[in-house]
Amino acid sequence: MLIQFTLNGAPVAIDAPPHISLLALLRDYLGLTGTKEGCEIGECGACSVMVDGEIVNSCLLLAPKAAGHTILTIEGVTGADGSLNDLQQNFIDYGAVQCGFCTPGMVLAGEALLAHSPNPSRDEIRTALSGNLCRCTGYQQIVDAIEVTAHARRSIAAQPVVSGG
Amino acid sequence: MTSMDFMRATSLADAVTLLNASGLRCCPIAGGTDLVVAMRQRGPWFDRLVDITAVPELLEITETADQLRIGAAVTFARAAAHPRLRAAAPMLVEACLTVGSPQIRNTGTLGGNVINAAACADSLPPLVALDAQAHIVGEDGERIVSITDLVTGPHQTTMRAGELLTYFTFPKLPAGARSTFIKVGRRNAQAISRLSVAAVGWIDSAGVIDDVHLTLGAAQPHTERLTQVEAMLQGQRPSPNLFAAAGKMASNVVVESTGRRWSTEYKEIVIQGLVEQALTCMLGASIQA
Repeated sequence: MLIQFTLNGAPVAIDAPPHISLLALLRDYLGLTGTKEGCEIGECGACSVMVDGEIVNSCLLLAPKAAGHTILTIEGVTGADGSLNDLQQNFIDYGAVQCGFCTPGMVLAGEALLAHSPNPSRDEIRTALSGNLCRCTGYQQIVDAIEVTAHARRSIAAQPVVSGG
Repeated sequence: MTSMDFMRATSLADAVTLLNASGLRCCPIAGGTDLVVAMRQRGPWFDRLVDITAVPELLEITETADQLRIGAAVTFARAAAHPRLRAAAPMLVEACLTVGSPQIRNTGTLGGNVINAAACADSLPPLVALDAQAHIVGEDGERIVSITDLVTGPHQTTMRAGELLTYFTFPKLPAGARSTFIKVGRRNAQAISRLSVAAVGWIDSAGVIDDVHLTLGAAQPHTERLTQVEAMLQGQRPSPNLFAAAGKMASNVVVESTGRRWSTEYKEIVIQGLVEQALTCMLGASIQA
């Protein structure tokens, strides 16, 4: 069946069988392999993507359910010039990436949190990450990276706009 | 190769028509968090899936003068964030917030949780304690059934082929009613309930317990109110001894209904503690020195 949706800002129309997951659609039909396949039962969060701004497990979402919605994958998370954004750079700077398998899902969970809550406490960050498992870092560095990014984004937002003169 | 078709219903009438196509085994899908895992494990048991998440009525939370109404396709996250539900049924909101992870709560629905009817379904004890009713439509019109009568056992419901759960209603609690939900799991996040308790209760002007509704989760094959324990509590003055006695009685009621089995030694202590703790949380402030 033809499945049409918005993927990372661009319209997509793709023919795929109705029983596959959005995860399989992204990886096997659209070649976007940044979204990872971990447990396939909705426990590890490696397959996290955003649907209409909300974080979900793409392994549990049937591909046809994406129709008409706006999907954001890790490939769509970039800085203004197409390189890493501030959160991704902070993941590197704060040692929040080791094997890297959980990282796309962690970054999306972080972005989903920051979109709704620009000033999260460490507890709120931990709750936001509670659907994403990391077996390398021990989580502290991931929480640090998100906390630092939130702080920096608030500082930028708080700066007065200086007009030319 | 799996063969099935997938249709998206855009209205209630459309959903009922799509679910009743002749010669096809049809199954509604809301979030799909349970269905997709089951489908992957044992293959599809249907020829057609009908996506009900674009039917506007199923996504609404509304209230009338005396009751609240929750659409079957409302996600746990939407329910937990809803101001009226947070005020009117805090223990249902607490239960929603213990389900899975943020990802699961953004996808999974209350209707799906009830219809899937897992023994550990976290929304069941609060809905049963609230005396919630399920509104079900089919080709022959609407029928209304209590959640206790709808869910008859683990993964067993009285839903008929071609029917669709549309919404839940439950009566508003009296002013001053308190409620609580406590869940025992192996960890805080992503935990499957080992046991849980949902309770609502209120005290009358004389300081005695006017009414209490108590429901345990994952304790018995059939999720129902513990009416014996409720009757024992009614008309009594709240006290630590009373709550301890209620815990003991709840534990006895469950052991009587399930018989003694390998897990009983654990469960009878935990149920006793859970019920005592729930009553203390809920009505402890009304204990008079």
